Amino acid sequence: MYYNVWDMSLFKKTTDEKLVEDIRSKNKELYAVIVERYQNKLMKYVVYLIHDEHKAADVVQETFIKAYINLNGFNVKKNFSSWIYRIAHNEAMNMVKKYRKEVPMNLNFDIKSDLELEEEFSKKEIKEKAEKCLNQIPIIYSEPLVLHFLDDKSYKEISDILRIPMGTVAIRINRAKAIMRNICQKNK
Amino acid sequence: MSKKQINIKNNVMAQIREGKITMHSKAYFVVGSMFLFVGFIALFILSVFLINIIFFVLKSHGPMGQYRLELLISNFPWWAPLFAILGIVIGIGILRKYDISYKKNFFLLILLFIGAIFLSGWLMDVTRVDDNWLKRGPMQKVMRHYIQNNDLPDRGFNKQMRNNRIMQFK
Repeated sequence: MYYNVWDMSLFKKTTDEKLVEDIRSKNKELYAVIVERYQNKLMKYVVYLIHDEHKAADVVQETFIKAYINLNGFNVKKNFSSWIYRIAHNEAMNMVKKYRKEVPMNLNFDIKSDLELEEEFSKKEIKEKAEKCLNQIPIIYSEPLVLHFLDDKSYKEISDILRIPMGTVAIRINRAKAIMRNICQKNK
Repeated sequence: MSKKQINIKNNVMAQIREGKITMHSKAYFVVGSMFLFVGFIALFILSVFLINIIFFVLKSHGPMGQYRLELLISNFPWWAPLFAILGIVIGIGILRKYDISYKKNFFLLILLFIGAIFLSGWLMDVTRVDDNWLKRGPMQKVMRHYIQNNDLPDRGFNKQMRNNRIMQFK
């Protein structure tokens, strides 16, 4: 059975985990609902990571393919969103490494520990300035920032996606804000 | 919705419908987990034996020391390193191929694993499991033979002989 855009509304209240169970046991066509749900979010996330829409589309497509192949390995008691974001993260990182020369990104960048971390930016401010400054921030800081402010992921979810402790997520987000503020001020 | 994004959905679903991509069966993941499990058990056994030998070498161990060390080495589970390497490599190969595993506290897991290895090695040493190998089962004959040939005193046998003498005087 095929599903079109209008049929998707039928599954609005169905959780990802329930959908996965149904895809695995009943109807693989329901995977279209999962793709529909996540393709925009993942595109936005991956574009921020690799700064190239075409490559990002390839990464997202590959993410959905790998997620489908390994769907039986997904534990329905866990969060599907974190699982698929993790796959997207890995695919994006592979792409970054592959085209490192084309897309220079300092993966090991760090800042001085005595950098003053002043008051937090408001969510709205971050969103407005994000697109201007985000590309200049080292990826280890920009990624948790994007996930938190643009994808509305909790620290716990970011910790699951990036496989880093929640404390590290908080530190990286704070540092990202500080770096962002410095960069944005310089760009004024 | 952009054309590219519609294509993603259409491309993925087309590949699924045409059977170009299929889900790995549950058995695939069970087998992967089993390889990892066997690998870690083998690694555990290997490490316990290594720790036990280290404890043994570090201790003063008397006239039978060299023999007991040789015995420990001759009883060393040589299959363990093979199983450990194969199990872990194949298991990780299967499970990590698409990074389908979940976040774990690897630091805590490694600490617990090392702790368990040291504890087991130490327990083996304290409970003198290596001595029991000498005094029980097929190793007992080997020990008797070795003691007789080398004219060495043995605490276990001497104690039994002393008890027999006390019984005779009674």
